Formats: sequence, C-alpha cells, structure tokens
Amino acid sequence: MFLEMSQQMPITSFCLPPLPLNRRNILIGGAGAAAGLLLPSLAGAQTKLQITEGNVAPLPIAIPNFVAGSPADGEVGVGVAQVITNNLQRSGLFAPIDQAAFIEKIVNIDTPPQFQSWKTINAQALVTGRMTRQGDGRLKAEFRLWDVAAGQQLTGQQYFTSPEYWRRIAHIISDQIYERLTGEKGYFDSRVVFVDESGAKERRVKRLALMDQDGANVRYLTKGADLVLTPRFSPSTQEITYMEFGQGDPRVYLYRIETGEREIVGNFPGMSFSPRFSPDGQSVIMSLQQGGNSNLFVMDLRSKSTTRLTDTPAIDTSPSYSPDGARICFESDRGGKPQIYVMPATGGAAQRISFSKDDSNAIYSTPVWSPRGDYIAFTKQGGGQFSIGIMKPDGSGERILTSGYHNEGPTFAPNGRVLMFFRDPGGNGGPSLFTVDISGRNELRVPTPGFASDPAWSPLLS
Amino acid sequence: MKVDKTLIASVALHVLVIGWGLVSFSARSLEAPPPESMPVDIISADQLSKITAGIKTGEKDKPKPLVEKIADANPADDNVGKITEKKEIVTATAPEPPPKPVEKPVEKKPDPPKPVAENKPKDEPKPIEKKPDPPKVDPIAEALKSEDAKKPVPKPEAKAAPPQPPKPKQERVFDQSKIAALLDKRDPTRQAFTGSALNSSASLGSTHGTAATLSQSELDAMRARLASLWNVQPGVEHPEELYVTVRIRLNPDRRLAAPPVVVSTGSSPRYQAAADAAVRAVLQGQPYTMLRDETYDQWKYMDIDFDPKQMFHS
Repeated sequence: MFLEMSQQMPITSFCLPPLPLNRRNILIGGAGAAAGLLLPSLAGAQTKLQITEGNVAPLPIAIPNFVAGSPADGEVGVGVAQVITNNLQRSGLFAPIDQAAFIEKIVNIDTPPQFQSWKTINAQALVTGRMTRQGDGRLKAEFRLWDVAAGQQLTGQQYFTSPEYWRRIAHIISDQIYERLTGEKGYFDSRVVFVDESGAKERRVKRLALMDQDGANVRYLTKGADLVLTPRFSPSTQEITYMEFGQGDPRVYLYRIETGEREIVGNFPGMSFSPRFSPDGQSVIMSLQQGGNSNLFVMDLRSKSTTRLTDTPAIDTSPSYSPDGARICFESDRGGKPQIYVMPATGGAAQRISFSKDDSNAIYSTPVWSPRGDYIAFTKQGGGQFSIGIMKPDGSGERILTSGYHNEGPTFAPNGRVLMFFRDPGGNGGPSLFTVDISGRNELRVPTPGFASDPAWSPLLS
Repeated sequence: MKVDKTLIASVALHVLVIGWGLVSFSARSLEAPPPESMPVDIISADQLSKITAGIKTGEKDKPKPLVEKIADANPADDNVGKITEKKEIVTATAPEPPPKPVEKPVEKKPDPPKPVAENKPKDEPKPIEKKPDPPKVDPIAEALKSEDAKKPVPKPEAKAAPPQPPKPKQERVFDQSKIAALLDKRDPTRQAFTGSALNSSASLGSTHGTAATLSQSELDAMRARLASLWNVQPGVEHPEELYVTVRIRLNPDRRLAAPPVVVSTGSSPRYQAAADAAVRAVLQGQPYTMLRDETYDQWKYMDIDFDPKQMFHS
C-alpha cells in the first residue's frame, strides 16, 4: 500500500513570472545603487528614528480557497487551501485569517487582487492559487504569494503532478510561503516515523508507523508482533533504521520504505541498539552491548565493515552525527551519571558538554544534533522532572523548552527550528507526540490515531 | 614683461576672490543645517505643560492683533455681559420676587448697563467715554476730517454697535422671565473662547526666534505607530543580524513621496524577510498625521532603523 506513496512522486515545477502591476515594484534588498540615485546624498540634516520594539506576533495571512480550473477541481482547491492554512497556523509564525472575513472573492489568479480589500482585513500577505486537471490526467497547481502592503508578488510557482499527490503539493507550497516570508527553510514537506502504541497498558502493541508531519496519511510498517523502538530516518528518506526485540537479543534493523524489505544491520553477538544514520547515509552508528557495558560502533552499509569508536567500561549510547559528519554527540555514564559528550567522528577523546547549573545531579540523555548544526537537543532528568532542552555544541546556552512528567526523545524538524518529542502523562494513559519551537513557544500536540512515542522527523522529501 | 606682471596680478586677484567666495559660501552652507535638528531633548520633559505654555506666551506676545480681531468677536462679549447680568438678576430675584415684581424690571433696566460699563472699562476705559459720542455722529465727522482713521476709528464703530443691541435683548430676556436656562448662556461663552484660541495658535510661528523643531512627542508618536505595525517573527534566532534601515521621503501630506528604500545591506533570505517586514510597517503607517507642518523640513527625509535585538534578550 505505502509503496506507491514513496518519494518517487513526479513533480515538475516552473516559476510563475510576476504579473504586470499598475504600481511600480518596490526597490528593496540589493537595490542599494538605485537607492543612491533616487535619494541623493542627504547630509546630516536628515532625521533618524530608531524602532527597537515591534509587534512580536504571528504574521496575518489570507489564504482563500484555490480557484478551480475546471468544475471538478473545486474540492481539491478547498483541500489545498486547508492544508496550507493548517501548516502555517501550526508553525506559530502565521495567523491565517478566517475566510469568513474575506471581502474579495478570488476568481482569477492571473489578475492582481484588490489589495485595498485585503488591507481592510489586516492581511499582510495573500496566497492565491488555482488547481486545474489537465487533459493528460495530471493536476496543475499554481500559486502566487502577494505582499499586500507593497502590492507586489513575492513568489509564484506552478507544479504538475498526479492528482493523488495534491496534499504534498500543498505542503510544498506551504514551504515556499514559509521560506519567502520568514527567510528560513520550510519543513512541511516531510514525514515522521514513530512507534504507534495500542492496547492495554500491560499488553501494549507497538508498531512502526509513518505519517506526514501534520498527522495525515498514517501507515503502519510493522504488524506489532515484536517490540520496536527508536526508529530513525536515512538522509534520503527512503530507509528507516530501528531496534526490534525479536526472539533473541534486540537487533538493529534496516527498513526500505519503497519495497517494504527489512534486514538486520550486522550480526553481532550481543544486543545492538540506538542506531542512527550518518549524514551521507552510507553507514549506521549504534551501540553494541559487551557484558555490562556498551560501546559505539559504526558500520558501513555497503562493505559491512565495522569500526569501534569508543572503548570504555561504561554505557555509551544514543550517538548522533553533526550535520557535517565531523563529530558525534552521545550519551555516556563514564563520569558516574549519564551525560552528553562530543567527540570526533573517528573516535578519540570525548569532551563532556552537559553541566547543569541548577541541579548537579541532573541526568542528560538522548542527544540529537540539529540539521542546522547550531544546537544539540536532549532530555534532561532532574528534580523529579523530565525536560526537553537545547544547548550549543560546546555546552553553552542551555535552554529548557518544556518540563514535566514525562518528556523524552526530541527530534529536529528539517529546518532545525522545531522539535518533536513524546510525552507520557503516566497513569492509565499513554504517550503522545508534541512539537515545540526551539524558543520554547508554540507547544502543540501532533494528531495521531492512538498513543505514540519515539518520533523521528525526516529530512525534506524534495 | 610688463604685460606678464599685470597678468600675474589679475590672476592673483581672481584666485583670491574665487578662493574667498568658495570659503565663505561653503562656510555658510555648513552653518545652516545643524541648529535646526538638535534642540529636541528640551521639549521632551513635559509635553502637555509645554503645549499650554506655548499658547500662553503666544497671547502675551501679541495683545494688539488680538484686539483688532476681536472687533468681529464683540457680539460674543455681549453674551458675556448678558450672563453676568442674568446671574445677578437670578440671585437677586430669587429672594425678592414675591413682594414687588413690577418694580424690579424698572430697577433692572438701569442696572444692566452699569455692569457692562464696569466690565468694559477694565479692559479699555476710553471706548466707554466714546459711547455717548456715536449718537452725536461726532466720531464719524472726526474720522472724515482726520488724516488717517487708524485704530481709533474702527474701535468706536465696533463698540458703538454693541451697546445698542444689548438693550432690546435685555427686554427679550425679561419677556422669557425666569425660564431661561443657565446652560444656554454658558454655551455661547465657550464659543467665544475658542475664537480667541485660533488667534494664539496663529501666533506660534511668528513669535519663535528659532525655526520650529521636530518635537520629541512627534517622534514618539511616529515611533509608537511604526512599532505597532512592525510585525516581528516570534522566536527569531540571531536577531542582531536583522538590523534594517529604511530611508523614506515624505510629501507634505504626510504620505510617502516614493517607495521606501532599504539602505542597510544584507543578502540572506532571513534578512530579506526582515527588510520586507520593515517596509511593510512603513507603508502601512502612512499618513503620518502626528507630524506638524512647521517641521516638514525635518521629516521630509527620514532614516528609520528597525532593530529587533532588544526584543530577544533571553
């Protein structure tokens, strides 16, 4: 079933050129030279005004339903607008305006909208689009992003794809809007693999599951006969590595999404766990149990050669590469309590980076390096609470994003701005997934069909 | 040889003259701009008190123009006179009406002109003496005979007119008896005051020895307007990289004469987004109604810095 949902979606995209407007386009950014011509040198006589306080708030944006290119396209036009609205709303950076407030009805995206009617409802940005079924069965999606105050087109694009991929088109358009208005890469066209939990607490069935980042299109990859833990995406988003308790010791597996094939990574005598791909996708780093302790090993997926990275009488686990592949952060109790260490990717001297200022007994675990490289996220346990936090790779700038009982297992969105983690309220309930901004804002529950834990965010699909 | 000397002399003189001209003209141009822009800080201490202070000084500086214009406003003065009369009548009538109503109107008719006479002499004692004159037509004859009518002529005319109307109006008041409401009398007095306020505001420009300066309150108001419209992305990382300066040129109608121009530099997508947000705020803020006409020279060109750094200290 999910085979056809792989990333092999044929999408062709073209830029939509700006429409000819009545008003002159505004010179911004690199128009410095032109600026000098427009405003000749103004001596010191000119007044300077400094604005240091702004309105820190989500950007008001209007997203009308996409115009139907043919009568049959009305439904998909509404659906695309809804997916975009939901994405931008959940990001916490945008405030989509209720469609009931709209004054102008967009009927043709090839003519500029009436900006005054959008200013009236305080929209700062406007998205117009059209979905059209082509003669060859493909779906054409077009959109334009408008700056309402300046009255100019910020970006425009058209895509051709199969009709069943309309949701992904909506995610891709969401990313374009997000990127143009925030300057950050988007993260909407991505997926999350997680452990779906169902059944009574003492007989919990755990299945590997895959879904879009917004909770749609949930698919189950395993049947739940065996316990699964810590799934992780490959950089190509085509494979997942995870740990599974089978008949014997727990093993690290590799799962190919497109084919549904799975295989054991290496054939080691003891327990192997806590796997993660290297940034180039060519190898898997993991922990191997050796007696009462465990060490880090990396295995090349093609040559199957294994390299030992640590050799200590302690438990070294939860390794994660820096995005450039040069360093590894991991968890180790070599100093007594579990803490986070950083070492070169080839092994060698490890440096402890986690030092709690408020609680010397705090335990740090599950480190994961941001795709942007600027932060390492972790679970911190101390004072009877489990917290999700981030710190810089040198251990400075620790920032706790959320605390309580019980939070664990952070994973970064592809743009490194949002974290997903799971929270278990205890009692008879079960865990569920949450997202939080790396500034600690905008904590939101991620909709899942049942209980869910151990999320891992994929890179962007396209 | 002699020709050369004259040439040298003429060249030397030209150089001197031109050099002097360059120095003196450039010096003048340099001196002009600085005094206008700076003295803003003094004003910032108390906004309201200084606004009212400005009006008071305006009135004190120009008593004469006020008098001249009051010629039109004199009917308002009549209303004032009526009110003072009526108040006295009411207080006097309240206790006394039952005994002898007929006698009072007779007594009151002579009374009202007296208070009017008393009030006016305080301001200008001379016109009262002239009041008996107008019926005799002497002032007109004098005016015709005199070389220039000047100020005395209009004053007697204006004041000659008012004393006549009050008498019939007083009769009307008596006809309405006690029913006339005090509220009706207060309203016209307020209108008369507003008439005087216009004169004081007009005097602001001329009384100043220095040019009008862009006050701190104007800048604060503009800053507040832009701050309310400047939409800053929540949770921005490295806000110090997003410092944007927007240069604007404003028309006297307080709207942008040209699209705002970002004069700071930055090429990253994040910077582009920040620059767009700053430009949006400037575009949405117009017209900047808080700016005064008198200070146009100082807000014609403005550089507006948008600095998000302080908003994300933690």
